[in-house]
Amino acid sequence: MQTKRSIIAPAKFVRPTTAARTAHTARFIAIALAALIVFPFLFKLIGGYSDLAAQILLTGVAAAGFNLLLGYTGILSYGQAAFYGGGGYIAAIVLARLTPNIWEAAILAVLGMALLSFIIGSLVVRLYGIYFALLTVASGQMVFFIVEQWRDVTGGDDGFQSIPTPFLAFGPAHIDLTTKLPSLPLGPLGDLSDVNYWYPLAALVALGVMLLVRTLVASQYGEVLGAIRENEDRSTFVGYDPRTYKLAAFTIAGALAGLSGALRAAHDGSVALGTLSIEQSGQFVIYTVIGGVQTILGPFIGTGLIMYLESVLSGNGYWRLIEGVIFVVVIVALPGGILGKSTRARFGFLRALGVKKNGA
Amino acid sequence: MAEPILQTKGLGKRFGNFNANSDIDFSVQPGELRAVIGPNGAGKTTFFNMLGGTTRATSGEIFFKGKAITGASGPHRVHLGIAKAFQTANIYNDDTCFQNVRLAALARTQGTFAPQFFARSSRLAKVDDLAEEALEAVDLLGVSHIRAGDLSHGDKKRLDIALALATQPAILLLDEPVAGMSVEETTKTEHTIKKLTARMTVLIIEHDMDMIMGISDQITVLHGGKVLANGTPAEIRANAKVQEAYLGGHSEDEVL
Repeated sequence: MQTKRSIIAPAKFVRPTTAARTAHTARFIAIALAALIVFPFLFKLIGGYSDLAAQILLTGVAAAGFNLLLGYTGILSYGQAAFYGGGGYIAAIVLARLTPNIWEAAILAVLGMALLSFIIGSLVVRLYGIYFALLTVASGQMVFFIVEQWRDVTGGDDGFQSIPTPFLAFGPAHIDLTTKLPSLPLGPLGDLSDVNYWYPLAALVALGVMLLVRTLVASQYGEVLGAIRENEDRSTFVGYDPRTYKLAAFTIAGALAGLSGALRAAHDGSVALGTLSIEQSGQFVIYTVIGGVQTILGPFIGTGLIMYLESVLSGNGYWRLIEGVIFVVVIVALPGGILGKSTRARFGFLRALGVKKNGA
Repeated sequence: MAEPILQTKGLGKRFGNFNANSDIDFSVQPGELRAVIGPNGAGKTTFFNMLGGTTRATSGEIFFKGKAITGASGPHRVHLGIAKAFQTANIYNDDTCFQNVRLAALARTQGTFAPQFFARSSRLAKVDDLAEEALEAVDLLGVSHIRAGDLSHGDKKRLDIALALATQPAILLLDEPVAGMSVEETTKTEHTIKKLTARMTVLIIEHDMDMIMGISDQITVLHGGKVLANGTPAEIRANAKVQEAYLGGHSEDEVL
């Protein structure tokens, strides 16, 4: 220690200036926006289609929220489907019975799932590790069975079918989201004639959620979440109440899952009971771990990779097995996920993709 | 006498049929350096944990500046002004020393929870100052950019003390602050603690008798979960009951 001590720089911390941080944020937005614009074009080349691209981004929102828990707080919730599916059912009911305006449906779903995750969170944040995970499974299953049994409202096993086509209202302007975008002839890429307004909406929501998570993680709140993840006992005895911090993260993650589920329901025109299932909760774990915990874009990339492969290989009875193999290979070969530390060390260009440490 | 800064009345902790602590009446004056000693199994750690808020008392009460805090949570006690350092250094291993104390100093501005979802902490110059002050107090300013997990054992334990200091406590609870330290490290830590007593009340639980006798104002001896004696180092050294119970037959010269 002695030798190290003598060569150490002065104690004052050199912090990035506000201008440097603004530039960093601007770069992040530019990269993310460019990626979101290029995505449907490239996606088409590998056999994807714009509806799936929109679904990926909308589902990725729930994974990004889940990453707040697993990545940035270090707690494994295995019940996120309750809030994802729950948001879907609320949106379906609102769109079918109250208003075809998608914003109103989405806001009600977000508020409803924030409330539900706050209530469930208040109970589960008292527990640690495996007991925390098991209690989230149990609460997820409770929501599943309530929705399954409440047939008159939810449609039970059949799911909620035939949600009316929603529209997006901006004051007097109403946009039917299924309207096709102006066709662009793009040579070898085709003319993208299948793209409707859903894709730009999904891209904007995804970008907004990325920026939200990025801001949260860099905030004082995010800094404390990181402290709790690293050493909860010490954090308690410097004066933080870890339960409240975790509860806030659980509520935000629940609200984002609700937003994700609501927009998926509106987009798909139906909600399946399976959106509330334990398998769906497992999918969020897989998406996030494969894409990269503690990264902003990772959950979206993981969601995209798995949903794309699933759509290509779903005719194949071995899909679940293949998914499991991918999961294992990523965990063993790329600890930290596709955007994780070890991958970034090997492929420097990935560093620009908005990897984020708490408080940084 | 002034009002005690920390006081317990009839404090007890029962684990099943076993009384780890019973009927402890204890009081510390502001500015005092108090040591709590006792043979293994005397109930020192249980007592310490009840004061810090790790475990709840099963009987009796704890008062801080005259107010009952018996049921207050650990984080709540920190904000009242009771901070502690752990027997085994309890720090953020993956962060630098400066980041460590900064997290503790940040708590001072946050309370037990602050919904600061958007504002960054880098704007809080006061937090930087508090952090720097705390590192300086334990003589670790020179290694502020070293990863905490890479520090020597002694420096880790002093960083733990700095984490407590960064919360600006009125009373500092130290659980065996020199346990496992070399002679050199012990001397350095002893010096650090002495400096701190000018600013705050310090309560130490310790095995190292040389150090305790050298720096304490008052000593409380626990034995079998009860208070056996209170007094100055000289009084404790001369106390026959203490010699009998604590020294277990060894002569005074050998142990004290």
